[in-house]
Amino acid sequence: MKKELFANPDLCTGCNRCTIACSAKNEGVFQPSKARLRVTNFPLRGFSVPNVCFQCPKANCLEACPNDAMFRGADGVVRLNRDLCSGCGNCVNACPYGMVEQNAKGIPYKCDLCDGDPACVKECHAEALVHAAGDAALFQLKAAQMKTRPQSGTPLEKRHKVAQTIKRNSRG
Amino acid sequence: MNLYMGKMLVVDLSAESVTTEPLRAEWLREYWGAWGLALAYYTDAVSPEVDPLAPENAVVIMTAPLCGTLVPLASRMCLVSKSPHTGTIFESNVGGSFGPELKYAGYDGIIIKGRASSPVFLKIDDDRVSIECAEHMAGQGIFETEKLMEAAMGAHGAKTLAIGPAAENLITYSMIGSESYRQFGRGGTGALFGSKNLKGIVCRGTGGVRVADMARFLERTDHYTKNDLLCDDNLWAKTDGTPILVEVTNEMGIHPTRNYTKGFNGRKDRLNSDAIQAAKLGNRACASCPMACGKFTRVNSAEIEGPEYETLCLGGSNCEVHDLEAVIRFNRLCDDLGLDTMTCGSTISLAMEMTENGVHDFKLRFGQVDEYLKVVYEIATLSTERGRDLAKGAKHLAAKYGAEDLSMEVKGLEMPAYEPRGNFGMGIAYATSERGACHLRAFPIFATDPHDIDALVSDVVDAQNANSIKWSLGFCDFWGTINTTIEADLMSAGLGEAVSAEELDQAGERIWTLSRLFNLAAGFTAADDTLPKKIMERPLEAGRHEGRVFSRPDLARAIQSYYQLRDWSAKGIPSSRKLAALGLDKKTL
Repeated sequence: MKKELFANPDLCTGCNRCTIACSAKNEGVFQPSKARLRVTNFPLRGFSVPNVCFQCPKANCLEACPNDAMFRGADGVVRLNRDLCSGCGNCVNACPYGMVEQNAKGIPYKCDLCDGDPACVKECHAEALVHAAGDAALFQLKAAQMKTRPQSGTPLEKRHKVAQTIKRNSRG
Repeated sequence: MNLYMGKMLVVDLSAESVTTEPLRAEWLREYWGAWGLALAYYTDAVSPEVDPLAPENAVVIMTAPLCGTLVPLASRMCLVSKSPHTGTIFESNVGGSFGPELKYAGYDGIIIKGRASSPVFLKIDDDRVSIECAEHMAGQGIFETEKLMEAAMGAHGAKTLAIGPAAENLITYSMIGSESYRQFGRGGTGALFGSKNLKGIVCRGTGGVRVADMARFLERTDHYTKNDLLCDDNLWAKTDGTPILVEVTNEMGIHPTRNYTKGFNGRKDRLNSDAIQAAKLGNRACASCPMACGKFTRVNSAEIEGPEYETLCLGGSNCEVHDLEAVIRFNRLCDDLGLDTMTCGSTISLAMEMTENGVHDFKLRFGQVDEYLKVVYEIATLSTERGRDLAKGAKHLAAKYGAEDLSMEVKGLEMPAYEPRGNFGMGIAYATSERGACHLRAFPIFATDPHDIDALVSDVVDAQNANSIKWSLGFCDFWGTINTTIEADLMSAGLGEAVSAEELDQAGERIWTLSRLFNLAAGFTAADDTLPKKIMERPLEAGRHEGRVFSRPDLARAIQSYYQLRDWSAKGIPSSRKLAALGLDKKTL
């Protein structure tokens, strides 16, 4: 069975160890702004949402790429071939969840699940992030999170909108 | 630079200027970060005679070297200034994620001087830093102020520090809130911002923290996280958080009840960890912390991250309020209006005892919830006479009505929730702390014999030195098993330079001693290293140590033994030999 990344906001403590670990592994520096996943915090309501790349079955980032730089691997993970990337940014606008952003050279950050061993999951002591084959409950959780698909706004604004819906469903 | 950002932000509100200056490299190996480095900057900038609320006073906010990295429980940030509540040097620290964000924006710390002519807030958006108008935020609570500053940044998730009306009214136990429920809690940090017309700071940072060798740094971090932090001695923070102390201190007979009349609360079940777990919605964490000691609770419509132990006791048992919903409401009011729950709770319990004893009728009685909640608002807004009375804190309230024997403070700072008659070590810790009665300098509640003065004096000195460096490296109290050997190894891996446990030990003693020098220069003497009259004269009621006092002769003996161990004179003045050994002999204050 292929493993997927699942996020459970009800267990997320907002600590950001996932984003710190992700940037350390992928960028060699502790820099959450370059992480492949993010955490949206609502401190007043005591709630946090891990924003993760869903590796969408119908991936808008992949479809929007004019150069076939985005491709799907045999494991189902959507990856970036940096050599083919022109830095056009179409994928950034295409992702409805705000999970693709560009670095200073225009190259997008794209979660590739660390080739099967995600750094974020190892650092999630609250078990809000799970890398597993998944069961009915996890797939249901993921489907609910994928429902809100903002079409406009910056990646940050999209992530916030998605997280806000998730919060409303959980905490009112 | 590795670990450090190498840059300080200097804000002069009188001149309306924001500049940066390089981090003072010559201080790093002496003071390290957070508390120590803030103290070095502060004492360099300000004279000990300064009026805390005058524009001439400065406020230094400092992050720590490991802050923003994957090292757990290492992202606390310190504020150092002279306290308007105690008149002493004062260090207060906060968790959450403002510290990491400030570093990601490119700064190790902020020095704030002067006074703005009208309310302002500071906006830090990476290298774009500006002083912005905050007139529309005046009078707003902390929660709303944080929301408005975040909106002004135009980016969800910007990190904030904010004050509420209590601080705008210069109440000397007002605090600075961060991310709703975290605080620079004690000593009137809020009034320092208030006196500068500074309503808050909002920060967004997109940069990063570098280390010498990432692979080695991550390996060491993982090693200590797994083999030291996440072990039995520390896991209470993950499972229960501070509410576990309700049972612990009651069992020990040191749980302040009825304004420090009793050491045991027969109705503790209403406020203990089981009660918190029953009301819990989820766990909350500071940046990079796997423990998530914060418990987000809700009872009926009242919700909060907390209440923490100190509030459960000083706002609960010590006021004989045993209703968790009422304590949550009290806590939330304090967090929003901007009051320190510890001093506020303690001052209310004093007014309750004064009312019950017939000293003065404040219409506040033990266990009476409605008035207890009403008076919090009256204090923060100074809207009634009793509110204005209580806004002065326990020492001045007691003095006004001749009830000095009921006021539970040291150097003006109200005592934390550990009864010194049941544990002399806590008494010695309170009497000798640089900022008045404080549990975060030494915490000897688990001593084998809680009344063995000689052993406890030694424990207190060791803990004060160890905590001085621990807070300077940004570590949280709740990594209870960490020591300077672990700290030195993590620092070495991050810096790429050898750091020894011995130099960190010595830095701790240096920081503690420099604080003492400041207080001596500010006019404090050995006579201030004392305890409340009630502790020395009135026998403790209820609990395991019923009948105990911490007598004057016992305390005097403890203090002299403490001075000797520190190589201070009988008057509590550090010897020139000690100052030379610590490199403080040429320090001018």
